[in-house]
Amino acid sequence: MRFPTQMLAIIILGFLLELFLPWWSVAIAAFIGGLFLNTRHNFFAGLLAIGLLWMVKSLLIDLSTDSGLADKVARIFMLHNKAFLLLVTFIISGLVGGFASMSGGSLRSARK
Amino acid sequence: MKLSKFFTTLAITVLLIFLLDKGWTIGNISIPPLGKFLDPFHGFWQNLEPTGFEGKKQLVIPGLKEPVSVIYDSILIPHIFAKNNDDLYLAQGYITALHRLWQMEFQTHAAAGRLSEIVASDALLDRDRRQRRLGMVFGAEQALQSMDANPAIIKYTEGINRFIETLDYNTLPFEYKLLNYRPEPWTNLKCALLLKTMAQTLNMGDKDIEMTNAWQIFGKEMVDVLYPDNEDPGDPIVEKQGGWNFKPISLDPLPLAIPDELINIKKGPAEDPTIGSNNWAVSGSKTYTGSPMLAGDPHLQLSLPSIWYAIQLNAPGINTMGASLPGAPGIIIGFNDSIAWSITNAQRDLVDWYKITFDGQKRDKYLLDGGWVGTRKVVEEIKVRGGNSFYDTVFYTHWGPVAYDRNFHAESSLNGYAFRWIAHEPSEEIVAFHKLNRAKNYAEYMDALNSFSTPAQNFVFASVSGDIAMRVQGKFPVRRKEEGKFVLDGSKSSHGWQAYIPNNHNISEKNPERSFVSSANQYPVDKSYPYYITSTSYEAYRNRRINQVLRQSQNITFRDMMELQNDNFNLKAEESLPLFLSFVDSSQLNPQEKEAYRILRSWDFYNHANAIGASYFEGWWNNLMPLLWDEMQNENVSLARPTSFNTIKLLKERPEFSFFDIQRTKEKENAGDIIRKAFILGVKDIEQWKTSNATLPIWAEYKDSFISHLLPPLTALSIPVKTGGNLGIVNAHSRTHGPSWRMVVSLEPSGIKCWATFPGGQSGNPGSAHYSNMLSRWERGDYFSLLFLKTPDDQLSKVYYTTQLNPTSE
Repeated sequence: MRFPTQMLAIIILGFLLELFLPWWSVAIAAFIGGLFLNTRHNFFAGLLAIGLLWMVKSLLIDLSTDSGLADKVARIFMLHNKAFLLLVTFIISGLVGGFASMSGGSLRSARK
Repeated sequence: MKLSKFFTTLAITVLLIFLLDKGWTIGNISIPPLGKFLDPFHGFWQNLEPTGFEGKKQLVIPGLKEPVSVIYDSILIPHIFAKNNDDLYLAQGYITALHRLWQMEFQTHAAAGRLSEIVASDALLDRDRRQRRLGMVFGAEQALQSMDANPAIIKYTEGINRFIETLDYNTLPFEYKLLNYRPEPWTNLKCALLLKTMAQTLNMGDKDIEMTNAWQIFGKEMVDVLYPDNEDPGDPIVEKQGGWNFKPISLDPLPLAIPDELINIKKGPAEDPTIGSNNWAVSGSKTYTGSPMLAGDPHLQLSLPSIWYAIQLNAPGINTMGASLPGAPGIIIGFNDSIAWSITNAQRDLVDWYKITFDGQKRDKYLLDGGWVGTRKVVEEIKVRGGNSFYDTVFYTHWGPVAYDRNFHAESSLNGYAFRWIAHEPSEEIVAFHKLNRAKNYAEYMDALNSFSTPAQNFVFASVSGDIAMRVQGKFPVRRKEEGKFVLDGSKSSHGWQAYIPNNHNISEKNPERSFVSSANQYPVDKSYPYYITSTSYEAYRNRRINQVLRQSQNITFRDMMELQNDNFNLKAEESLPLFLSFVDSSQLNPQEKEAYRILRSWDFYNHANAIGASYFEGWWNNLMPLLWDEMQNENVSLARPTSFNTIKLLKERPEFSFFDIQRTKEKENAGDIIRKAFILGVKDIEQWKTSNATLPIWAEYKDSFISHLLPPLTALSIPVKTGGNLGIVNAHSRTHGPSWRMVVSLEPSGIKCWATFPGGQSGNPGSAHYSNMLSRWERGDYFSLLFLKTPDDQLSKVYYTTQLNPTSE
């Protein structure tokens, strides 16, 4: 149960910090999640939490609009469509979250 | 060991953040800061407006004196109701910036030669240098001398800045995020620069260098045959033979003296001279309602965000609506409670090039009237993004800046060419529009136009009280015959502009007998007008088609006006295709050519979207021109092709004309030979097109129009459109240029009615539903009936939402 709890905590904290701080605040959320709720899989917790946070938020925004801009931005980045853009978003944010969480977790030994 | 893991992962995290927080340029591809840009909480996703999005209902704007109501209708046109004029323009600036800030600023950067600050590239640096050397900022500064204290400009600028101050990364317009930069404060100079951009688009065309070269190569007699000043196709803007009752200013005669050399200068790409605009007005005697009607239809290179921003402005003393230019206060084309007006470009040569003889390599002085006069050196610093500034020295003479010299596009010449341009002079267009927006009748319209100098325009007018009028207004130098057509000798001050045509000598007419007025960039006037007129080119087809239809029409309704604006009749084809076909021997053709021949014979000359004949004609024409005028394709020397009208005239009247012979062949070709060759090549082109497009070559597909983003490399943001029309057709929609704002106004005493349509939408945000929501209707040739409010709560049922702008509380 620790892994889902850790992930959820990072998502919530990341969401809250993003309301007040720039984009890199998700790294703080993941770091704290790794530090205080660390598991054996800190990296994946951070990666999934932040990756999902950004991807799902992007998807929700996209569903609320019919402007078609997401597809156009995907094409500007030479991606086929917005699905790939969401994937890139997941990977980029996920990596930041993953390493930040891993970094926080490495300050404490994993609890069983 | 644990600590090393901590430091390693922390370092990776920090490095990732650093890399993703920074923009990168790889080759010539620039990548925005990916973390910042893709963050759904702050990045570009925040620019996607939810469906049915409504803006804020209350805003506090410092600087307002009293509350202002901004009522948006269903197509997001703001109707601004202010209690005083200062608040009105402040609100116009704020609201326009809210929807169009990036576009406004980008255009002024482009005008001022500052695009290298945004994107570094050799092509843009060259473009920036050209803008500086053409004296765009110099012109704007001159214009500002007489406009700097104008309250409309001051308040408008203030409004834009109040909006800019509210921006953080979240709310920054999309393009700033994509290109990773931020807006700078707006200035009065930027308003002036925008007007200069219009002048550059419309009044900077010239063929002086091409004409000078043609004289050197072909001789003066041939110049007159190939490039006559007045092709005289009929239907000038104003025709009142002998009705010019004033004593014209005349200048002492001076023999033409042109430089005895071929000039090799690669000037900037000029605006397509064949694209122009239409406007006309009809008297009540010709309309169904008995009230005058007016049609306005400016054609420009189409781009997104839309060129025009529709708006209604209401305050004590003013209630006007129409198309505004984002970045300039007031309404440029529109109507108020009493009158309506629109503009087309007045084709006139307002540019001269003077050959400068410098004293030596340092270019400290130049020769003038036998003595040496000092140059003024201006060092232009062009800031280049991510690199070192580029410094360019521009030499100013009393004529103007030496745009082309050995440092810029004139490598082969030791001398320079100074640029004399009407838009380098002080002017007060803002005052003209200020008055026009408030004008109540013909007299006030005439008075308003007296303040208008550049870019010279044909102003059509109609009033509720029943008048219609046309006036060709601008500041025009008095020219001797053929002066300004060729490059001039800059060492004699007598070659300068000695006087300007007084406003009351300008071409105009009021309530003519034929009960309509019209203009379409054609030659402006009958031959009895006493001043010499020349230009790069004049329209020869749209004007005649418009007048042909208007002459025949009675009981005109607004639908008839719209139909004429969308008219696809190809008069050029009607006047040339029968001749072309007569040269083709149908028994000698291969199957594809036979089919083409059959299609062309049965074509009705309408460039409708689904017409196949129009595509074959175009393919034929596009091969004909280069074959006929191969003499003008000279890699080392700039030359110009004759116009379509003159080409057809020469084909008809002089089939054995020496130019029709193709230089690189041994045979001696005449008109018929070339027409046949072009036919075969044209059919080949169409066949090739059919293979690569796997569809019928219907005109809309073959023409393949599109509306590109203001940054053309962003092809992902450009939108294809399928329409009829073409150059020289009333529906003048070519591949890239076309109707940017169509308006039909009925001036009924019970209340003015207006219908309008434009390609795009009110919002400049590509993430808004209002970015391009008007496009499909425009594409079909349909209009929106505009809501023109008398009071803020006039028609509440049609209100989308209202934003209240409040002053700061004490």
